Amino acid sequence: ELVQYLLVKDQKKMPIKRLDILKNVIREYKGAYTEIINRAGRTLQEVFGLQLVEIDSKHRTYILTSKLPCAERNHPCRAKEKVKMGLLTVILSFIFMKGNSVKDSEGSHHPPPQNRYLEITVIPLTDPPQFNYHWGPRALKETSKKDILNFVAKVQGKTPKFWMSQYNEAMA
Amino acid sequence: ENREEMLNSKSNRLTETLEEANKLFDEVSRPREAALDAQFLVIASNLGKEKANELHSEMTTFDTALFAEDLLTFMGINRTEVDENDSGFLPSDAWEKVGEEAMKYFRRAPTFHYMLGSFKSEPPVAKQRIERQKKASRGEAKRAMPAQLKKMEESHQEATEKEVERILGILQTLFDNDPDTAISFFDFVIDPNSFARTVENMFHVSFLVRDGLAEIKLDDDELPIIEPTKSRKGGQNDRGPGARNQVVMSLTQEDWK
Repeated sequence: ELVQYLLVKDQKKMPIKRLDILKNVIREYKGAYTEIINRAGRTLQEVFGLQLVEIDSKHRTYILTSKLPCAERNHPCRAKEKVKMGLLTVILSFIFMKGNSVKDSEGSHHPPPQNRYLEITVIPLTDPPQFNYHWGPRALKETSKKDILNFVAKVQGKTPKFWMSQYNEAMA
Repeated sequence: ENREEMLNSKSNRLTETLEEANKLFDEVSRPREAALDAQFLVIASNLGKEKANELHSEMTTFDTALFAEDLLTFMGINRTEVDENDSGFLPSDAWEKVGEEAMKYFRRAPTFHYMLGSFKSEPPVAKQRIERQKKASRGEAKRAMPAQLKKMEESHQEATEKEVERILGILQTLFDNDPDTAISFFDFVIDPNSFARTVENMFHVSFLVRDGLAEIKLDDDELPIIEPTKSRKGGQNDRGPGARNQVVMSLTQEDWK
């Protein structure tokens, strides 16, 4: 049951809260929470090739990622999803290639993204407020600096080593 | 105030300002001023961090404009054409192309969708299955003509038709060889080596009976015999005026043995 719950909750790509899991699925079996979560994780891995990952140990939230190697995953994907991921990847690339953080003063116009791919923090004592953009926990789990560097290299038709310091950082 | 100036890697402004702040702090006597000083330190340290970052990325400069150009090329826009009528619009699948490539670099869990509706099933196959199950058995029998299963290269429907025709041919030949001897139905359909083929034979024979090309009668011992109909009226849809009975035959594997 927990497996189904997690799969459905993952549709929206919002992180799943432990509290919600306890309230909606586990309920009276609270004591066995760890065991139940572990078993669900195993099922997800063995049956679906998915991984249950905790992205926030303070608030105990989870996401689902795929365990299968990237290049082989050619699963059908809606156009909307592709478009969003395209834009996101460009942003993540930009952030990484510019030293893992980018600042912008336009941040206040947009609502903070819930998907956890990006993390926006306010730069203190700036007026008008300026924001720092970093990779969020979901980005860190679903992709890597190495992967994104490869993406940039592909787009620009160069080898990843062309950007030496980024390359070193990605390989570290 | 002068953030940009301070961030310029060539400038020592930040260091100078820090030194000035240090000197000033010695003269601080009121809490408000101390608070201001603290604020200043926060700003200064942030600036310092940023400066360090920029130093770092300047080692291998990432050319944003070039990246953007390459992205546009990747999206399939011919840059040389664009300059004249630059309406500023991207082709509708521009971002999709980027996204499709980008997805390869992520381990994203596929979004769970419900499958609406059942799997597509071919009606002919399903119908045949149903017919096959509606047969009741009677009596036993010994050896008979082995029927060889042909390779099913065509669709089920075509194969069935061919098989039916073939069986009709066999029946006709048998009958013609010895018109006075009845052909036991069970001798005809049973394959001593395969229960499955036996059932298939019965299934194919049922088509012949349905189309009026063969008849099944009971002999003196109340056992069914089969023979081709004498006056073949031709055409598959010709349901002749003869009495038509429906019989349900069932044959279990035990019986067959």
